[in-house]
Amino acid sequence: MQMTMRSFFIGLALAIAFALIGYEANRFVAYLIYAVAISAIGALSLNLLIGFCGQITFAQGALVGVGAYAGGILGNAGWGGLSLLGAGIFGALLSMLVGLPALRLRGLYFAISTLAAQFILSYLFKILVPWTNGVSGLVVKQLSLFGRPVASDQEYAVICVALLFLSWAFIGRVMQTNVGRAFLVVRESELVARGMGIDVSQTKLKAFLLSGFFAGLCGGLFAFTSRLANPEAFEIGLSVDQTAMIIVGGLGSLAGSLVGAAFVTLLPEAIQRLGELLPSADLISAFREMAFGILIVLFLLLEPRGLVALARRLGARREGPSSSVARSGTGVLQSGVAVSAQNRRKL
Amino acid sequence: MIALQLAIAGVAAGSVYALIALGIVLIYKCSGVVNFAQGAYAMLGAYITYFFLHLGFPSIVSVLAGMALMALAGMITERLILRRMLKAQIVSVMMVTLGLLIFLKAACLAIWGPDQIAFPQIFPSGAIDFAGIFITYNYVAAFALASALNIGFLLFYRFTSLGLMQRCAADNSRAALAIGIHVSNQVSIAWAVSAALAGLGGTLLASLGGLSLGISDIGLIAFPVIVVGGLDSLAGALIAGFLLGILEAFTEGILTPNLEEFLRSVSNVQSVGALQQVIPYALLVLMLLLRPQGIFGRRGAERV
Amino acid sequence: MTLVVTDLSIHFGGVIAVADMNLEVKPREIVGLIGPNGAGKTTFINCIAGVNKPDTGTATWNGREILGLSPAELLRIGVARTFQSVVSLHDLTVLDVVKLGAAAHAHNAQGFFAQLFRSDRGRDDELCETLLKPLNLVDVAYSPIQTLSYGQRKSVDLARALASEPELLYLDEPVAGLTYQEGMNMGAVIRSVRDRFGCSVIMVEHKMDVVNSTCDRITVMAHGARIFEGTPAETQQDPEVRRVYLGEA
Repeated sequence: MQMTMRSFFIGLALAIAFALIGYEANRFVAYLIYAVAISAIGALSLNLLIGFCGQITFAQGALVGVGAYAGGILGNAGWGGLSLLGAGIFGALLSMLVGLPALRLRGLYFAISTLAAQFILSYLFKILVPWTNGVSGLVVKQLSLFGRPVASDQEYAVICVALLFLSWAFIGRVMQTNVGRAFLVVRESELVARGMGIDVSQTKLKAFLLSGFFAGLCGGLFAFTSRLANPEAFEIGLSVDQTAMIIVGGLGSLAGSLVGAAFVTLLPEAIQRLGELLPSADLISAFREMAFGILIVLFLLLEPRGLVALARRLGARREGPSSSVARSGTGVLQSGVAVSAQNRRKL
Repeated sequence: MIALQLAIAGVAAGSVYALIALGIVLIYKCSGVVNFAQGAYAMLGAYITYFFLHLGFPSIVSVLAGMALMALAGMITERLILRRMLKAQIVSVMMVTLGLLIFLKAACLAIWGPDQIAFPQIFPSGAIDFAGIFITYNYVAAFALASALNIGFLLFYRFTSLGLMQRCAADNSRAALAIGIHVSNQVSIAWAVSAALAGLGGTLLASLGGLSLGISDIGLIAFPVIVVGGLDSLAGALIAGFLLGILEAFTEGILTPNLEEFLRSVSNVQSVGALQQVIPYALLVLMLLLRPQGIFGRRGAERV
Repeated sequence: MTLVVTDLSIHFGGVIAVADMNLEVKPREIVGLIGPNGAGKTTFINCIAGVNKPDTGTATWNGREILGLSPAELLRIGVARTFQSVVSLHDLTVLDVVKLGAAAHAHNAQGFFAQLFRSDRGRDDELCETLLKPLNLVDVAYSPIQTLSYGQRKSVDLARALASEPELLYLDEPVAGLTYQEGMNMGAVIRSVRDRFGCSVIMVEHKMDVVNSTCDRITVMAHGARIFEGTPAETQQDPEVRRVYLGEA
């Protein structure tokens, strides 16, 4: 899904709108806004890697954690706004490290190596006590921007929405350069990419670099808004959450990342409200997880292109049969039928 | 003698790891999919067996009922979900199994609650004295049962005609179809058997360490096992399962305390936490770098 | 600007796919490479296109050895190719693919940050004019590949190869899957491309009418080796060729 001038301005308008709402609203709404914004940055970074470049990874949780710890440590050391930049840089560096095996290993094996990276990094968060403060978690001081501490949820909401907009615009623009185009070709077929003269290894590394930067940024914001970097928050569960966001929202779709993030972040809140009818907290949390699991399965079965494609399909149906061209809902994930089924046999 | 004690504990745990890993490899060979929900099958099997035991059924009946119901669950999963996703990308199918894991874990949470439950004795109590080490009948039985099934399954796969059909269907489904093998039935059977084996594995784990949602985590240890053993090698899963069980036991028993002592003397680091859970993954990474096809896997499909 | 291939051989396992193949392509020449299935035509092209590494032989382009160069390196020195099967490339538009092709040529490479901040509009129009118009693709310039017909996708692949400003172009079955009329049109397009851009072309193809009307010279391969070379008229008459293709005595 390309970012056109029109969608850029729509995005800008929405960003301004949400920033204003976030600034004026009460604490809870402000919290919801920045929670969704932060998750959305994470979802964008993951979509860049999985959706746009086709590199399956499970290490997202750990990379967000790297950003959280880096941001927290730098923030505590007085780096101010630059600690967010630092969080991104550390995220990018670790991401490239995690991605190195991708240059030599094929899809499934690489995915498993990222699983290992996730567990190893999670473990390191817990035992490198001098840096991370281990299982107790690292207490993070308030973010200070240009000398001023950012104190309220509302201010964080504005900052997070702004950073989300910038991230979205940047990634969208990248997808319009040759680098971004190369991502897409590498995703479809490395053989064709090579034949077109694309340096596949470099392309993959660039994808990891960019994705890691935004994962780190997500983590940094996470640390500052929760004032704590806690290893339990960056385990495989977070990887699963953000992967669910991009699948539900739409793999390879910019808007889908945002929609998916909103959906997955707000769903537990919604169920919490409904669940207040139920006797125990455990039961509520159980039903929330059950709904989560079912939704993941249902989406993958029925609308693998995510909510964005679903919306487009419903919109097309309203306009009439003549308007839905070749762009039906089961495009990307089920195209290349013979290729992916065959590859699985061969694996 | 600590070494021997650790070895025994490791071998018992390893035999169960092998059971789970075997199921994953079986499914992988047939469907090309790594089943993230395998751990959930183990957990569910344990809870179902507990359900029957709780109702008062004899041990054997309960265990078999657990396995039978898990076989059904595996078959249902395959028919209802996997079959619809033959054309989807790998990441989607893996996510579906992940979604299933989340769902099953939550379902067990809803029905049985979050706390650990004492698992009723299914093996006679008591222990044998072996070279000065006490080994409870539990451990012996778990090891014996798991090993019997592991080896039994390998023999079945290798030497029976149904096993032969399984191998054909897994190796080259088109050719298998051409010679009249009902491939989709074979795939269902593979899922059913894998789930049943996992269910038994979960039951054994519960009998050793108590019943809780955490049993599903065994699905995660399976990854190092299958990578070290070879993603498409059943024998590899078996051997790697034992290797990793022993590695884990030795890490927990010997490496961790010594390492912590060393670290405390040279730095601020107090503990190495759950090192025994991470070491298998470090081994996994090493394996992927040096010999991606694992000890027994076939070369070819792993490198770009 | 000549391509000279000498004694090229390659085998896979026990099968000899190409045996001591020789080929010469002069400047601005369109050479057709034909032969029955399994003759080794595509394998041969893959050898000189940086996909496979042949066992023996040399191939020089403008006097420079090209065996062992990667596709990317080949593109930089002006050797491009099209593909037999056209993979659907997700949401990439026609212009996206063509721009990727253009980026492959050394002097077209624009820095990442330059691309990030400068607008593409001027470039778009330029590419439309020079590449898309001759191939009738201007109307679909901004359409995703997956919405195009098979014939159009092959044209896009050709445009992509042309965008790298090649001096030597390998076309791998350019009219496979096209109707008779589409095929003849493509043949005409190939000739006009050669006239306008001045490149040499090697064309692997099965459809004889297109080959006859498009190529200056034809090389016939069978069982991995060259069995005949000549003009289209000569090729049609040669008894050996007829035997290999039609089974005549």
